[in-house]
Amino acid sequence: MAQKNKYKSLILSNLIIYGAAIILALGVISIFVAVLGYNVLEALRTLLTTSFKSSFGFSETVKKAIPLLFATYAFTIPFMIKFFNIGGWGQMLFGGTMTVVVGLTLGPLGLPSIVMVPLLLLVGIISGGLFALLAGFLKAKYDINPIISTIMLNFTAYQFVNFIATSNIFRDPNEGHPITRRLSESSLMGFFGEIPASIILAVIAIIIVYLIMKKTRLGFEITAVGHNLTASETYGINFSKTIMVAFFIGGALAGLGGSLEMLNIHGKLIEGFAKTSGAQYGVFGILTSLVVAGNPLAVPLAAFFMSVLLVGADSLQRTMQIPVEIVFLSQAVIVMFIVIIRERYGKGIK
Amino acid sequence: MAFITSFISSVMVYTTVYTLASLGILISGRTGVFNVAGEGIMLASASAGFLAAFLSGSWFIGFLAGALMGAFFGLILVFVHETFKVNQFILGICLVIFGSGLSDLIYKLVVGVRLSAPIAPDTPEIIIPLLSKIPVLAGFINQDIIVYFMYGAVIISWWFFYKTKIGLETRAIGENPKAADVVGINVSRRRYLATIIGSSIIGVAGAYLTISITKTYSPDISAGRGFMAIGIAIFASWKPQRAIIGGFIFAFIEVFAFQLQILSDKIPYQFFLMLPFISVLVIMVIYRKHIEFPASVGKPYSRE
Amino acid sequence: MVENDYINCKNISKKFGEVKALDDINFVVRKGEIHGLLGENGAGKSTLMNILYGLYSPDEGEIIIGGEKTNIKSPLDSIKIGIGMVHQVSTLVPDFTAVENIILGSEGEKFTLPISREREDIIKISEEFGLQFPADVKIKELSAGVKQKIEIVRALYGGATLLILDEPTTSLVESEFQQLLKSLKVFVDKGVTVVFITHKIKEVMEACTAVTVLRKGKVQARVPKEELGVENLVKLMFMEQDIEVTESALPKVNLPEIELSEKPVAQVKNISIIGDDTSPGLKNISFDIFGGEILGVAAVSGNGEKSIAECIIHPTMLDSGEIFIDEKSMKNNSPVEVFANGVFYTPEDRIKEGILNEGSIKENILLGHHQEDRFLKKKIFIDWKEAASAARDVIKEFNVATPDEDLSIRRLSGGNIQKAILGRAFVSPLKLLVTHNPTSGLDISTVEFIFNKLVELRNKGGAVLFVNEDLDELMIVCDRIAVLHDGELKGIFKRSEFDKFKIGLLMIGG
Repeated sequence: MAQKNKYKSLILSNLIIYGAAIILALGVISIFVAVLGYNVLEALRTLLTTSFKSSFGFSETVKKAIPLLFATYAFTIPFMIKFFNIGGWGQMLFGGTMTVVVGLTLGPLGLPSIVMVPLLLLVGIISGGLFALLAGFLKAKYDINPIISTIMLNFTAYQFVNFIATSNIFRDPNEGHPITRRLSESSLMGFFGEIPASIILAVIAIIIVYLIMKKTRLGFEITAVGHNLTASETYGINFSKTIMVAFFIGGALAGLGGSLEMLNIHGKLIEGFAKTSGAQYGVFGILTSLVVAGNPLAVPLAAFFMSVLLVGADSLQRTMQIPVEIVFLSQAVIVMFIVIIRERYGKGIK
Repeated sequence: MAFITSFISSVMVYTTVYTLASLGILISGRTGVFNVAGEGIMLASASAGFLAAFLSGSWFIGFLAGALMGAFFGLILVFVHETFKVNQFILGICLVIFGSGLSDLIYKLVVGVRLSAPIAPDTPEIIIPLLSKIPVLAGFINQDIIVYFMYGAVIISWWFFYKTKIGLETRAIGENPKAADVVGINVSRRRYLATIIGSSIIGVAGAYLTISITKTYSPDISAGRGFMAIGIAIFASWKPQRAIIGGFIFAFIEVFAFQLQILSDKIPYQFFLMLPFISVLVIMVIYRKHIEFPASVGKPYSRE
Repeated sequence: MVENDYINCKNISKKFGEVKALDDINFVVRKGEIHGLLGENGAGKSTLMNILYGLYSPDEGEIIIGGEKTNIKSPLDSIKIGIGMVHQVSTLVPDFTAVENIILGSEGEKFTLPISREREDIIKISEEFGLQFPADVKIKELSAGVKQKIEIVRALYGGATLLILDEPTTSLVESEFQQLLKSLKVFVDKGVTVVFITHKIKEVMEACTAVTVLRKGKVQARVPKEELGVENLVKLMFMEQDIEVTESALPKVNLPEIELSEKPVAQVKNISIIGDDTSPGLKNISFDIFGGEILGVAAVSGNGEKSIAECIIHPTMLDSGEIFIDEKSMKNNSPVEVFANGVFYTPEDRIKEGILNEGSIKENILLGHHQEDRFLKKKIFIDWKEAASAARDVIKEFNVATPDEDLSIRRLSGGNIQKAILGRAFVSPLKLLVTHNPTSGLDISTVEFIFNKLVELRNKGGAVLFVNEDLDELMIVCDRIAVLHDGELKGIFKRSEFDKFKIGLLMIGG
């Protein structure tokens, strides 16, 4: 009985927080739009319905939601142990770049798709994971704040993408911009109608993250360290190992996201990819994760909702000439409001 | 000699950016407020400062606007933190994102798209007679007024923290806010002051980028320097006199990498562009034993 | 109003959230008193004094000082009218010297740093009141007793004529306590009035000239000097509780004679840890613990007792020496490997070190056992059903007051959290329990419950290493007591040799 009531109050409190979040979101955006002298109702309608009005809108939403999902996980999982992985973007870039490097190198071998695609995805997963692991290692071994290290690694990864995209071995000689040659057909992933096949990987990732966090010893250890580091160490959980594993998992998911962008969306490496609506997926991932307070189980839905807003924002820019930064700005403001609400009212009802 | 002098001269320009930004971060850090929003503040101030200077035709009004924009960010940070006890890092990250959106937005709204980019008015230079003829030294002193502002800010904040009682009290807040509170020091008020003053200094650093260095605005102009300033503040153990050394080292690396990039065609230029960021990590690993933190930095304080 | 009423708190009430911490308190202190404020932990003593000091503001009521109504909003206001407070937890800046700490916040020129001039004044005051300390050493290098002196001098330097001491004896040993008593008399001679907060009746009897007893946020009585008596005070402190009133208000335990195990459960051989700023480390310590005994470790806080407790679980902390469990070396073993040998631990600070405060009771009971085969499926998946059943067993065996095992642990009271933490140790077969200050801040019936659980384990042939700062408690429940000072083992006493004075003297290095 007590159990039932507990869940009831839990669901209710979450409904209140997320309900408030959505209303706040729309409210803040409306204010910005109104201040700049645009039609508020028109803008809100565009923002919310673009994703659902056409199959193009919907497939665009899915296309944005997938990398956003991975970018959000990249922040969320290290955040479970109270560390900030600002480097989701860099891990995506690194994972994607390594995928293209290996893909272009192995291309001439003419391996079948069934070998190439899983292999290249694995390259993305591992290289993204290792890139993030570096930040975890610097924290565990040298006590360097991951906020700093992951930001520095972001800039490093950005230059690395440029390096590959302009190198004589990989670049496309016919392009003026730093872009590599296209991956071979057997390396690319297909579509279900207009929906990218990446969606399968996204669903698998959602299931695996759920299983790890809720059902395994590893998930328990990550949760425990997040709740109380001292107690966890006292009772035998190795902090260094846990933080490195958490960063690895976060980075691996980001790397997979970057890899999928390469294999399913772009087909080649482009300078500064993994951006949307004027900012990096990493940034939107952080915002999305903060909205759900780093709860990995709530990530998929939040990422989808955020993606709806992004597609709507692009449309605002196209059809109403409203600067896309407005949505971006409002999101930062909204996240601040949500964090305040949670800090203020969320504690007693958790 | 002339080369060294001009090299130092351009290093000092970037030293000013790094030092002011890290000074702003460490001033609030000394009261326990860890301001990671530096990048966002620099971006917003770079944009606001440039626009104000361009529209008014006055460098001074430009820097004033940059400082005010910084103060505005600092006020949000400290107000939300002190009132709701929200995690400082989360707030900082939100403000970085807010600042990077705001900088482009206000530029778009005010200037729009133009064929030729608008140019900021000149920042006055101070040339000290005689001394400015001495090679090498000339690189340090033949500079614009903001470089001198940076020298002054370092000296004043060093004097404040280590030679005055109010500075001792301010440091006490960063070490143990309860200790300060029970002897009647108003912790919250000092945190407001330090964060707002610190953030406005970061704002000056941001405005310096556009008004004095590039003389024009482009998106993402601070290019991570606001983040590196956090690294410098940590490397400096939150001491003003060491922040200028840290600022000089990173400015040196940046300018040096830029020069090499022009001179060398063997090594891809991207590796030189990575150099400052990798150096932050390397220097932090090497110097970690000498790094001290104010004990309460980043932590909220409440009595109950 | 009596003429020499100095402090008069009238009808003070204060709520924290839903909890009524103070309920219509009337509290009077007269000039020249050493006034005891007595009550169990959580009775509201510190809350009341923090209100007087301006750290909290009361929801209702008023404070009259020297016949005038005051409006104390912050410590600054209270310092101005002559109130000084020494807090339970040190409120000094560890990185500053004593002088730097004392001049913080004081009146005067803010934009200079006249250390040398103020230094003289400070030393004069410290000599006048007999509270000498090294003035230019960083606080973090000083002992708890010295820090306390510095805090008292800080209050006096601020011009305090009323000195509030909040549980000043927590980290003092007998002789230091006696010294404090002497200082208290000096204060009174010099015209300083003292409020002495404590939960120990014995101290009130020795130190105070009047007492106010608080219980559950209410004043039970104001007892003048002539009516002070142990029995009287115990009744006032515990009134409605159904406990036997003993002379000293200490828990009772029955400790039957039993056979010790043939071989020691744990052997500690020549262990050393190099000391640092925060701890003196350990210096070449050896002892054995046998099945069927409770071995106490008596030490003043900060003398290596935490290291002793922790290094058994974390043998990698050791710089040299070895620990054997059942004659098996634990060298370089992780806590998990030590636990696998039937050892378990309850840490000193139950909230900060003991629980996952956002987790449920079930998750908390699992912590430390989560790597055991019993709770795992296919090595990587956690068997949550098994964990729930283990948690239900603990709840039943240890009387944890909760509707179910899914409740968030932080909803429990301190006593119930401690019972759950202790119960967690018994989830798997237990040979050696290392427990550090398990009873601090708990009411007497919970203390008795915990003691009986320790004795139960001992009677079944288990061993207990009981690290505790309260010597009285150790003497009740231990078979032997080891004394630790400055990281050195000063001796081990059998029950027949227990002598409070002798052990207390060793605890301070005498």
